[in-house]
Amino acid sequence: MTALVLALVLPWAVGALLLLADGRRRRWGWTAVAAVAANLAALVVLAVKVLPDGHETVVTGGWEGGIGIVVRADALGVTFALLSSFVVLAALVHEVLDGVRSRTFPALVVLLCTGLTGLFLTGDVFNFYVFFELAMISAYVLTAYGDDRHQLGAALIFAVVNLVGSFLFLIAVAAMYHVTGTLSMEQVAERMAGVEPNAAILIAVTFFVAFGTKLGLFPFHFWLPAVYAGTRPAVAAILSGALANIGAYGLLRFGAGLLPEELELGSTVLIVIGSASVIYGALLAVSRRDPAEMLAYSSIGQAGYVLVALGLGGPVGLAAAVLYAILNALSKALLFLSGALRGALVAGAFAVGALSLAGMPPAAGFLGKLALFHTGVEEGSVALIVLLFCGGALAFVYAFQLYQHEFWRGSRVKAGTGLEEAAAASAKELAAGRELPIAGGAAGSDVAAEPAASPVAVRAVSVVLALIVLALGLWPEPLLSLSSDAAAVLHGGAR
Amino acid sequence: MPQQTSPPARVATRDPLAWAVALVALGAFAGCIALWRTGGGTIDVSWARELDLRLHFSFDGIGALYGLLATGIGAAVFAYATAYVPLHLDHQARPARDRWRFWPWMALFMLSMVGLATAQDLILLFVLFDVTAVCSYFLIAFDRQERASRLAALMALLVTGGGAVAMLIGAVILYADHGTFSIPELASLLRTQDEAGGIATGTTVAIGLIAAAALIKSAQVPLHFWLPRAMAAPTPVSAYLHSAAMVAAGVLVIGRVFQLVEVAPVVQDGMLAIGLLSIAVGGALSLTRDGFKQVLAYSTISQYGYVVMLYGIGGRDGATAAAFYVVAHAIAKSALFLTAGTVTMAAGCRRLSTVGGLARELPVLAVASALAAATLSALPLTIGFFKDELFFRAAAEHSTLLGVVSVLAAGLTFAYTWRFWGGIFLGERRVGGAADDAAAAAKPLAPVPALLTAPIAVLAVLAVLGGIVVGPFAELASDAAGATLGHDVQLQLAYHLDARETWMAALAWLLGGLLLATPKAWGPAARALSRAGERFGPSHVYELSLSAVNRWSDRLHDVEVRDLRSRVAAVLLPGGILVALGFAATPTAGVFQIGSIDGTDLLVVALLALVAIAAGVVAFTHQHIAIVLALAVVGLGLATVYALLGAPDVALVAMLVETVVTLVFLAIVAYAPRGERPSRRELAGVASEPQRRHTHSRRWRDPLIGVVAGAAAFLVIWGALSRPTPAERVVDELVRLTPAAHGRDVVTVILADFRGLDTMVEVTVIGVAVFGVIALLRRGRTW
Repeated sequence: MTALVLALVLPWAVGALLLLADGRRRRWGWTAVAAVAANLAALVVLAVKVLPDGHETVVTGGWEGGIGIVVRADALGVTFALLSSFVVLAALVHEVLDGVRSRTFPALVVLLCTGLTGLFLTGDVFNFYVFFELAMISAYVLTAYGDDRHQLGAALIFAVVNLVGSFLFLIAVAAMYHVTGTLSMEQVAERMAGVEPNAAILIAVTFFVAFGTKLGLFPFHFWLPAVYAGTRPAVAAILSGALANIGAYGLLRFGAGLLPEELELGSTVLIVIGSASVIYGALLAVSRRDPAEMLAYSSIGQAGYVLVALGLGGPVGLAAAVLYAILNALSKALLFLSGALRGALVAGAFAVGALSLAGMPPAAGFLGKLALFHTGVEEGSVALIVLLFCGGALAFVYAFQLYQHEFWRGSRVKAGTGLEEAAAASAKELAAGRELPIAGGAAGSDVAAEPAASPVAVRAVSVVLALIVLALGLWPEPLLSLSSDAAAVLHGGAR
Repeated sequence: MPQQTSPPARVATRDPLAWAVALVALGAFAGCIALWRTGGGTIDVSWARELDLRLHFSFDGIGALYGLLATGIGAAVFAYATAYVPLHLDHQARPARDRWRFWPWMALFMLSMVGLATAQDLILLFVLFDVTAVCSYFLIAFDRQERASRLAALMALLVTGGGAVAMLIGAVILYADHGTFSIPELASLLRTQDEAGGIATGTTVAIGLIAAAALIKSAQVPLHFWLPRAMAAPTPVSAYLHSAAMVAAGVLVIGRVFQLVEVAPVVQDGMLAIGLLSIAVGGALSLTRDGFKQVLAYSTISQYGYVVMLYGIGGRDGATAAAFYVVAHAIAKSALFLTAGTVTMAAGCRRLSTVGGLARELPVLAVASALAAATLSALPLTIGFFKDELFFRAAAEHSTLLGVVSVLAAGLTFAYTWRFWGGIFLGERRVGGAADDAAAAAKPLAPVPALLTAPIAVLAVLAVLGGIVVGPFAELASDAAGATLGHDVQLQLAYHLDARETWMAALAWLLGGLLLATPKAWGPAARALSRAGERFGPSHVYELSLSAVNRWSDRLHDVEVRDLRSRVAAVLLPGGILVALGFAATPTAGVFQIGSIDGTDLLVVALLALVAIAAGVVAFTHQHIAIVLALAVVGLGLATVYALLGAPDVALVAMLVETVVTLVFLAIVAYAPRGERPSRRELAGVASEPQRRHTHSRRWRDPLIGVVAGAAAFLVIWGALSRPTPAERVVDELVRLTPAAHGRDVVTVILADFRGLDTMVEVTVIGVAVFGVIALLRRGRTW
């Protein structure tokens, strides 16, 4: 209980106070880091208590559940809270080391982390919305971080489109309260079964649209590329690695947790939309030259996988959805942070992220692919397996085309006195005369100046993230059992 | 060929990193021998319980064979590379630190090959398979400043990585049906099932997928094209890739899962066909190539075709011959590749048409590579002789037709191998020019470090030793065949002059000699095949599809909506459609109710109609003032509705908010540049004709989408409101408990006590919003 309260209250208080401080000063930046680290530590303590199948509950004001607000940490909530807090911490450390550029940045990041922790750990439908607003408003302001037109434009798009999503969510919460007479998730889950199917499905659809917008599923995704590409890398890492978890968590909690019958009814639609996202996102990511834009479209595709797994459902499908969400968040954070850096080891860190994205071992991404193939085979659906294969193949193409474009093309060295002629001849023979759109560029011996390397400490953050992604691939058991514990919350415990 | 300005002899071959890796290889080789002689060992621990993954390694016959190849050939190639890599970097004027992009990957490559050779679990096999692909990716792209290298690396990764996914799918299918990823367990399960009446189609498909992954890795037609491209890698990488690592990994996997393949005859027949096709296509194309490494690359395709064909034949003969073939080929092919590298270093040329007659100047190299060529073309007194003997025996035992085909295949091998060797070492002496070029005839060779010749000599000696003392090699092959088949195999090899196989071999040499002597006869046909392959072949298909995917990607990206309104519309319209779908999917009879309308309700209805009209005005007008005023009508109209419905407090708040918002909006409009409206600016500016039409069509599009979204929201709310009030509502409870919370009215108590947490968070939200606005405003100021 102490851990639960501490995880919530500490970053909240520190964040609120930091709003008044000048966050560009190092000490306030590190204070913010300490607050998020404390939040993460409290969540770890909480996770140790709650996992594998317990829960920890606090009702505000000492009322009984339903009267006061129920704050309830279970395996699912703690998993997502841990993940988001970790990603936020990585991005924050990255930015603090790189030099914070605005007064409010550290405070906003801490408050965003508070909002995320709150919404993952609440057991109350309306309280979810309130924490969700805290996270979103911080994110709107954060998106503008960086002062130039791109960021302002991104913030405007982000705020306007997501306010529509939030509004839809609010309508759904109101309707849900009207038909069940309660806001406590536990009671809602019990009472939704008795609600007329039509009213229930309309509420479910509204929730779906709201979370789909948040997560950036096709066709609700049109805001996403502009925002991810427009904002600064650290913020993009937070948006894609932490904030987007709201969408995945929301779909799991509200779909599989509160509205399981409606989820079942709509599973075909979910799978269709998920598949469309997978293909659309991956296809659009293929020829993007800006890493942030590629990653944005890739996020759309990866969100599609989560939705497909959710649509397939069952213990295997739900666990796959959680696992995929975790892996995607980690890979995206790594890629956004390392994609903007230059210097030794950065390319390696980015390559690990690219491998993870393409689902290639030893990076952890292959676990998600494995889990999804499990789900698909269990379902006996050839179409689904073909879809997963095509999506994966496109991921290969976009991840590595971009990797080569970013990290290999620029590093031309001057061809020396050696095998020039022979090399040119063999290049001609090998290239078979076709210019590929991306991996191309002028042939020959032009010398491009190496861009200045980023500070070592900043690069270290990316390298550490990369090592974690590798380690999770090499020793996958903790991650796998975490996601199956989280999924067990939704399908009633039996693993 | 540019003049060699610096003597290559000054190359630093004392690089500790390079020697460390080479020594590790040597040590690992010794370790593998020790393990093989002592009967190996097994590691079997749980890796990921959740997915039933195990770390199951066992150093059996296959492990010994491929482990020895990976470390032994590895040691030779690495020793060679200690001299080659510094020279290579020197030629390209690259910094010495670039060697860090070479050695760690080579070491990892070797380790993962040993792991792959001993892995007994399908998922482990997949993981290590992909690790080798990753290693080869970075090694092929070692010269990443070259576009060709980058494209080749990407191609190798996409083709083999995509193939590995097929293996993963196959493994998952097998797991779903049989509950294990363990290859030995699957083998015995499937054999039992096969004896009991055949295996399921799904299992056959799964085995086919695994075999396909292996064939792709072994560069079999039609997915062979990545291998010749991968020649962009530095020569030691190519040598290693072709003989003991990457490409060998494919046939390794076939050998490992052979007991699964055996129960799926379709897959096995397919392998036979693909093997034959690869022998033919690889051999024919090898005869048409000019670049040293290209000749060798196509020969590799053809050579692994032999192995695949032998596994396709199957049985004791097939499996033993395949294992032996891999060993002999690895020794010969690595030596030939290294020869190509040394010649290139010495002469600066990479094509058969630009060199010739180097035997006198490079005698050791010429002899060593001649022995390697003899091995590949199966001449007696080399280990290669026995590889073909086994090959002929397996083919002839299978059918006469296959026996004939095998002789033709061996003839082809003879021809392309000696074409390569003869092209470099025989004929008129020339370096970097055509036959009658005087300058080329006189041009000197660059001095070559001894380390660029010694490993080749060692490999050649090994090949000859194998031809005389074949015992250990035969034992190695029979052990591997035993692991492949699941039961012990004995293999005795010796020279029998009267044997059928010897006659077949002689016939093959004759045929090969004929082919070599008559290039004019088959040249046009082979070149036509090569041209057809370039124009219509799978490599072309790969390039077309890659550029098509990029093109579609660009095209779709171009039509994505960019403006804010469309981005909002993209949420509302699909949302509306989904609500309609949900509406259609569930029974609606009697769900939606219209309550009775009387008294003040009439006033409410009239007010709501006014609100609707005002909302319509917002959608259609472009005047800022009109929009603000219409929004005010909407807000105040709704506030009045609240008042009429008995919520005066809400109405008051709404009134206040609407007044303030309207005033703020008006103030903003006053500050905005006069007469500006989005559409006019677009029209007056650079807007082109299509954009203008776009703007025009939007006039109707936006209201339409608004109507769809409004209708959807209306349905949701109406559906909820049509439900009777639930029997127990928390609000009744709250009202009852208000006194207990020491409050007088329930709203206050809800805000301050029951849901105090919500209130506090909302206060924080407002605080953040205020700071956000301040941050925005300050940007405009100069301080």
